[in-house]
Amino acid sequence: MASLKAYAAGIYPRSEALVQATRDLDRGRTTAEAVDEQRRADLQALVAAQEEAGLDLLTDGLLDWQDLFRPLAERSDGVTARPLTRFLDTNTFYRALLVDGALRLREPVPAPELPAGRWLATLPAPSALGRAARGAASSQAFAADVLAPQIEADAEAGCALVVLVDPFLAREGGVEEAIASLRELPDGVPLVLHLPFGDASGILDALAEAPISAVGVDFYATSLDAVPDGFPKELAAGIIDVRSSALENPDELAAFADTLLERNPAGVALTVNGDLQFVPEPVAREKVLRLGRARALLAEGVTA
Amino acid sequence: MSVRFTTREIGSLGKPSWRVKAFAGRPIEEEDVREAERWGKRLEVDGHEELVEGLRAASSNTLLLGNGGLALAAIDDWASRYAIRLLEQAGLDVVYDGEQKRTEMYDHVAAFAHGFEARGTVRSFDNKYYAKAAVVEPPSADGPQDVEELRFVAANTQRRVKVPLTGAYTMEDWSYDEHYAREGALGGSAERRFEARRQFVEDVAERVIRPNVVGLVEAGADWIQIDEPAAATKPDEVPLVVHGFNTALRDVGAAKRSMHICFSDYRALWPSVLELDDCLELQLEFANRDSRELGTRAEDRPGYADTLRLFAEHGYPGVGLGVLDIHSDFVEPAELVRDRILFAVDALGGPERIQVNPDCGLRTRSWDVVYEKLSNMVAGARLAEDVVNAA
Repeated sequence: MASLKAYAAGIYPRSEALVQATRDLDRGRTTAEAVDEQRRADLQALVAAQEEAGLDLLTDGLLDWQDLFRPLAERSDGVTARPLTRFLDTNTFYRALLVDGALRLREPVPAPELPAGRWLATLPAPSALGRAARGAASSQAFAADVLAPQIEADAEAGCALVVLVDPFLAREGGVEEAIASLRELPDGVPLVLHLPFGDASGILDALAEAPISAVGVDFYATSLDAVPDGFPKELAAGIIDVRSSALENPDELAAFADTLLERNPAGVALTVNGDLQFVPEPVAREKVLRLGRARALLAEGVTA
Repeated sequence: MSVRFTTREIGSLGKPSWRVKAFAGRPIEEEDVREAERWGKRLEVDGHEELVEGLRAASSNTLLLGNGGLALAAIDDWASRYAIRLLEQAGLDVVYDGEQKRTEMYDHVAAFAHGFEARGTVRSFDNKYYAKAAVVEPPSADGPQDVEELRFVAANTQRRVKVPLTGAYTMEDWSYDEHYAREGALGGSAERRFEARRQFVEDVAERVIRPNVVGLVEAGADWIQIDEPAAATKPDEVPLVVHGFNTALRDVGAAKRSMHICFSDYRALWPSVLELDDCLELQLEFANRDSRELGTRAEDRPGYADTLRLFAEHGYPGVGLGVLDIHSDFVEPAELVRDRILFAVDALGGPERIQVNPDCGLRTRSWDVVYEKLSNMVAGARLAEDVVNAA
């Protein structure tokens, strides 16, 4: 069987305590230091949950990220994040990017305090940055001048996998430009192009030739029938539905992954179909545990 | 006949600190009392001294709050009166009460209807959060939800009243689905997912919102505004938005019905919205994406040009023109409001289809900022009328 791993990329939800701390900060009732302390507690709990679940790669949950784009925008010249914009069909928002000069990453987002070789980074795909900027700068420019130095810094800090997220690509098209922009990125660390909340069936064939190691597919928006036999890249199977509070049955997840493996892709990773922040933290924690159980069942060959 | 642009709010206002603290069980402080007094005087709220006196007593003895002293229901009523007066004093033609008696547009319905269960807190943006529920069985309601609220508002204003109601599609889209899509979601077909969502929308519209609308109209409401902020977020599902609107308002005699949508790609709305039954207008957010510079050329008004082109091209419905950015403390000068309206008049070939409102509810802004913004909005509308009527 092809190598199997499980991980939960993306922004993780804040605990009720961190929610309250950040609300209090906005209202002047607490300090930034107190919020940071709670955030560290949240991180410890998240890492513990991932370890308990037996996930292969760890995330820091991006607990201080306000949205997918802002940390890079705040550390880059030539771009600012301002107009509040609805994020797809979720009741959440991001700040769209305003481009006002040549793009340049001034300083990379710091690496998380996680064991070298065991952590993954989540970043916006270059094509997603281009879309968030409404085309005011090209995806290639974001790739070469913002993402490439960030990925190099992550690689030096022991990053094992970079998950590049593009929530727009499967819905809105532009796969050729997306692939071209991926060619601007360094190849020192494996890259996954993850496509949350979209039906990937129309672009899987094109992505077979993209300079990435894996394609992340949301299987709550994409039919299993859309996966061609012998897909030449690993499929990062989004089998945990981050937009549903319903808890997945690990037996059913493992059985689904088994069926996916019968289509002989280059590999299968079990993961989430988007940011877990779309469910409350206790629900997210349970979903992480169930992802781990599904991975264990699959590894043992015990499926429903 | 001279042109006059109708001015209105969209929905929610922030709640006064004394209202928030009273319902949260936190102590009323002298600062809260002073705010109640300041706004009571500024807005000329009849009898506000009674509220101030009650709050002052409660601030020195918390036992007096809701315990033989100032009841929570009375505080709710005062918050409503204050909000109505704020909108009136700012000069709006059409008012409501800033949804002072509602928790939040989604929770207000989910907590009332059967079939929803609370699941916890999720983030909306930055450090803003909202409570989210799951549908666990077909939703239903025992009767109309907002009739008493309407009666209170109508009894406390002489202005025209517009009742905002959360739409069926947004209720569906913002809920977790543990019922309709429970089986076969993983790896399932798009058709199956769509049918689950269609049934969810239809049930909310028919069994929760329509009984409310019927009760409201019987109680005298003549303008129902259906809020569908999620409407344009899934282009393929805009027909479901229309289905929810038409189902909720079917055979209901409200003289005016409209829909509010915000922070979306509006290109997805047409042509489906042409099927909305007797929809007076779409009240949309524009200012958020616009320049703050004056001017009436297309390049001066980047937030308006593309969307107004859609209105012009399709001819239906009218437009509720969002002229205030509700996520910023920037107070739009009346001249900027004027130019936004005049650009719209030019884009649509006349003023007939245009009315004026903020982008969305102003609940995230302080009342000081809200008052200045709304006052300038009304002043800007008058300036625009002067230009149009002089032409």
